[in-house]
This record gives sequence, structure tokens and C-alpha cells, in this order.
Amino acid sequence: MERLVNMHKNPILRISTKILFAPIILFGLYVQFHGDFGPGGGFQAGVIVASAFILYSIVFGLDEGKKLFPPNINLFLLASGGLIYGGVGIASIILGEEFLSYNVLGSSPQSGQHIGILLVEFGVGLTVSNVMIALFNAFVGFKSGKDK
Amino acid sequence: MISELIINAFLVTIMLAIGIALLKTRTVIFTVVLTSAYSLIAALMFITLDAVDVAFTEASVGAGISTILFLAAMAYLPKEEEENLNSQILPAISCMVLGGILIWCSYDLPEIGLLSSPIHQHIVPDYILGSRDDIGIPNIVTSVLASYRGYDTFGETIVVFTAGVAVLVLLKNNTNVSKQKNKKSNGKIG
Repeated sequence: MERLVNMHKNPILRISTKILFAPIILFGLYVQFHGDFGPGGGFQAGVIVASAFILYSIVFGLDEGKKLFPPNINLFLLASGGLIYGGVGIASIILGEEFLSYNVLGSSPQSGQHIGILLVEFGVGLTVSNVMIALFNAFVGFKSGKDK
Repeated sequence: MISELIINAFLVTIMLAIGIALLKTRTVIFTVVLTSAYSLIAALMFITLDAVDVAFTEASVGAGISTILFLAAMAYLPKEEEENLNSQILPAISCMVLGGILIWCSYDLPEIGLLSSPIHQHIVPDYILGSRDDIGIPNIVTSVLASYRGYDTFGETIVVFTAGVAVLVLLKNNTNVSKQKNKKSNGKIG
């Protein structure tokens, strides 16, 4: 990735990245939480949010990207997404239903379904976005035996 | 009906052109870019089938993030693909025979969107009505994905998680090994 090192010196790339960064994340959150009503959901939203951070890493370099989003937080969130999903399942068991039966989570079965789907999609989005960021960091930061 | 046919023919022609270009090119970066373009056309194809959620996934995952990951991984590949000098006749014949069988079988498929076809009869009416009455969500895809088939989606999430962790472990080990190698400056690991 040595060709990408000098990208932050290009003003067009630098400024357009800074302008685009927040709207991309906003769009990702829209896709995440609007998935009940329109197309979208955790998988797509996770990828969109990850693409914002990856764009930042590409333009400003991997070290700046790691400053913006530290790898230990990345790994923590990567695991917690799956845990949230499983936790919703366990919560429905504790409340006296089957695994991942959301009906008992709210005051009425319908609101329980709404809460369950929202939480589950959030878990999916968290895992997918952090896996993508972690994969990108691992690929770019990978040092093969040849170039020491 | 006619306009749908024109759009489909247009998309298939572009897909075919991209496929032929993929066969011809030997440069890795062109292969990555063409694969991304192919995914984008596939996403448009899904839109013509009214599968907007699938199209969204194909566009963001297939055309977006996998291209970036391929490009990131490409730095460790040779820039040119090796020329394959083996005979291509047998693979070509097997591809043609398989394609012919698939086209022949496609005449037995029910028309797209036909209400009386088996996939719209079995469990789908329950999902469509249940999404309105039991779950109260307009997007039926989300209610099937997250509620009716929540267990499957849990499995998918765990697959993504496991795959990510596996790649991280593989790449992390290699960096440690090369660090040790630098210290000791011997051995031929990796």
C-alpha cells in the first residue's frame, strides 16, 4: 500500500473525505434503524459505516485511522455485536419464552417484536462493521516475510 | 412487459461483456474493478426482480467493501496473472454443457411472481400476514430475517464474526513470526 502513503497531501481527497465522513455514517445509521420500514438492515448498515472509517484510513493512512478508531475498541465491539444478539435470545429465555422469541420483551407482543428486531439488527451491524474495519486494518498492516 | 425485457437484455449484455473482459484481462487490478462492476450490474438485476434488500446488500457488500478488501489484499499479489497455457477445450465444453442444462431446466420454472407457484403457497402467506398482524413492520424482509428466521441470522452473524477472527489470527501470527525472524535473523518461516 505504499502508493497510498501520500494521499493525504492531495487537498481534493483530504477535504472531500472530511466532508463525506459524517454523512456516510449518518446514512449508515439511517439504513440501520430504518430497516423495519424500508430496504436495509444490520448487514448493509454495518458495511456502510465501515466504509466511512476505511475511507478515512485510505486517505490519511493506517496510523491516523487507528488513532480515530483504536484497534482494541474495534475488537471489543466486534465481539459485543454477537453478544448483543445472543443476549436478546438469552433474555427471552429468562423471561419465559423460547430462544429469540421477542414477544415477551415488550409490554405487548408487537412492541416486543419491535424491540427485539431493533436490538438484533444493532448487534448484526456492530459485528459486521467492526469485522470489516478489522479485516482492512489486518490486510493493510500485514507485513509479509519478504519486506520484513 | 416490453420495457422490462429491454432493461433485462441491456443488463445481461453488459454482464456478458464484463465476463468476456474478465476472461481477457491479465492485470489483477482490472480483474478487481471488473468484478466490482459485475456486482453492481447484478444489484441492478435484483432491483428489476423487486428484491431491493438483496440489491442493497449486493451493492454495498459485493461492489463496495469486497472491492476495497481485494484492493488491500492485492498489494501482496503479483501485478500480472500468469498465462495459462493448458488446453481450454475440456473446461469450455463442460461449461457449455452445464449452461445448456440450466437453460433447458429454466423452461420448467414457474413465471416470476406467479401467485400459484409453490414458493408463494407454502409458508409465505403466513409471513406476509404475520408481518402485518403479529410483528407490525412494513418491511417483510426484515421481519423474516430478524424474527421468523432469527436463528439463521444469528448463525450468519456468528459466521461473519468467526471468519473475521480467523483472518485476524492468521495475519497476526505471521507478523509475530516475522518480528521474531528479524530479531534472530535466521530461519525460513512463512
